[in-house]
Amino acid sequence: MRSRYDWVIWTFFWGGLALTALFVGGPVLNAIWLSLHQASSFIAEPKFVGLGNYARVVQEPEFWSAMANGLIYALSAIVLQVVIGIAFAMVLNQPFFGQRLVRGLATLPYLLPTVVVALTFQWLADGSVGLLTVIARDLGLGTIPWFEQPATARASVILASVWLWTPFVTICVLAGLQSIPPALYEAAKVDGAGPVSIFFHVTLPQLKPVLTVVVLLRAIWMFNKFDVIWLLTKGGPLGATEHLPILAYKRAFSLFDVGGGAAVATVSFLILMAAVSTYLWMFPLEEKR
Amino acid sequence: MRRSAPERIGIGLAALGIAAWSFFPIYWMIVSSLRTPQDLFSRPTFLPKTVSLESYRNLLEVTDYPQQFRNSIVVALVVVAITLVASVVIAYAVTRFRVPFKMLIIGSMLYAYMFPPMLLAIPLYGIFVTLGIADSLLALVIAHCTLTLPLGVWLLWGFFKAMPFELEEAAMVDGCTRLGSFVRVVLPLSLPGIVTVAVFSFLLSWTDYAYALVMISSDTQKTLPVGLASMVGSFELRWGEVMAGATLIALPLFLMFTLLSRYFIQGLAAGATKG
Repeated sequence: MRSRYDWVIWTFFWGGLALTALFVGGPVLNAIWLSLHQASSFIAEPKFVGLGNYARVVQEPEFWSAMANGLIYALSAIVLQVVIGIAFAMVLNQPFFGQRLVRGLATLPYLLPTVVVALTFQWLADGSVGLLTVIARDLGLGTIPWFEQPATARASVILASVWLWTPFVTICVLAGLQSIPPALYEAAKVDGAGPVSIFFHVTLPQLKPVLTVVVLLRAIWMFNKFDVIWLLTKGGPLGATEHLPILAYKRAFSLFDVGGGAAVATVSFLILMAAVSTYLWMFPLEEKR
Repeated sequence: MRRSAPERIGIGLAALGIAAWSFFPIYWMIVSSLRTPQDLFSRPTFLPKTVSLESYRNLLEVTDYPQQFRNSIVVALVVVAITLVASVVIAYAVTRFRVPFKMLIIGSMLYAYMFPPMLLAIPLYGIFVTLGIADSLLALVIAHCTLTLPLGVWLLWGFFKAMPFELEEAAMVDGCTRLGSFVRVVLPLSLPGIVTVAVFSFLLSWTDYAYALVMISSDTQKTLPVGLASMVGSFELRWGEVMAGATLIALPLFLMFTLLSRYFIQGLAAGATKG
């Protein structure tokens, strides 16, 4: 159906679309262009070097350790989030007094800005009067080097990320649990299935569509996450928590190797695309029933 | 289904554990912001021995925090406004008009989900330097829109797609123009979707650290997350003030969550977040 004022909507549509293309598409194309050039700062005249930046970046050991660190961080954080998230959702799906309140509280961490979470964790782990430090001392564990040693720094960063982003899994799985027809559970009980076997043979298969999406989204975000690690450790100590986003940031904004930074960002995007395509090929997203 | 007493006690304990795990750090942040500086450096106690607003007073009087609070508000509101206008119209046109490359437009919105932050931040900063607007709130607004626009279009596309066309047709048969039916029928009906997009755009802009870190360098232009984080890096670490600042950043979000929790859950379910 046509109408007199269609042109108003059309104008806004093309305007909005052009704006989006300019804001989102423009930078990405520009990043690829930058990655093919060498520039010693953001105001220097870029010189075309072809794939030189890529070759240079890939030959550096930092690139490969950043890749390994990123994978360790993303995989452990995802597994923990999903396991804890499912466990929380199972509990919150039971009726109990104050259920609404606890559901609300369990969502809260997800709302917090990363900076608030990072600062609160640093305060809890403060070396002299932080609560965790005092408790560890009282228990005779000595002083835990939360962010000072490679292994503990990795664990701390993962812990903070899991705390912050588990609620996403909890909320999505809770919604999934509520859509499982009760008849399935009753049928399983009649067949004499115990709670464990019900979980693995009824609950988990029914949650599969939700979990496929949740794991995909969490994987994308954990792979790209920059702020939580930067705020907690700046990639240290000794580069133990430096992953690809931090490497790209440091290249572009500390070393002013703009082309190198853009090359790292482009490569990490390509890796992510390949991983996501593989994932979608292995676990095709089902249409909602 | 009745449960046995031990089962119910077990569930209660588990729920208590979840509440403690989720809320304790937040509780500790708030409590620490209310302790006096002397109290803060003595042995921590679970309940504060004294309650004082000294940290808040210092924060608001000595630091750039009030200015940065204003910056954050301005940036977030402008981002929400741009996102709403652009994404409502794009999503509406894509679902109601014969638009070429429809699925390509929608599909590319999803790909924007996957862009690593630095893939956008590095070129954007270069572009802003060339344009002479680096280190300004305008730069930050544009940067945040690169996150919120694809999100808004994606969410509202799902919304408009599910909305029956007959209602608008009825309005148009009754003599409404398309624009009239859009304003009088479509907008009111899609209010929940629009609120969801507004909430999540606000959330993204308000909590963003990575883009603000790249774009902004002067203290007076900083938004809250970067401003607060740079307080920690400065000469004297004052945890009371830092926790007061953190509490004040989180407060508007808690308030929003209490009032609009329906839209949060709805948005999460639609895959609205990027975080």
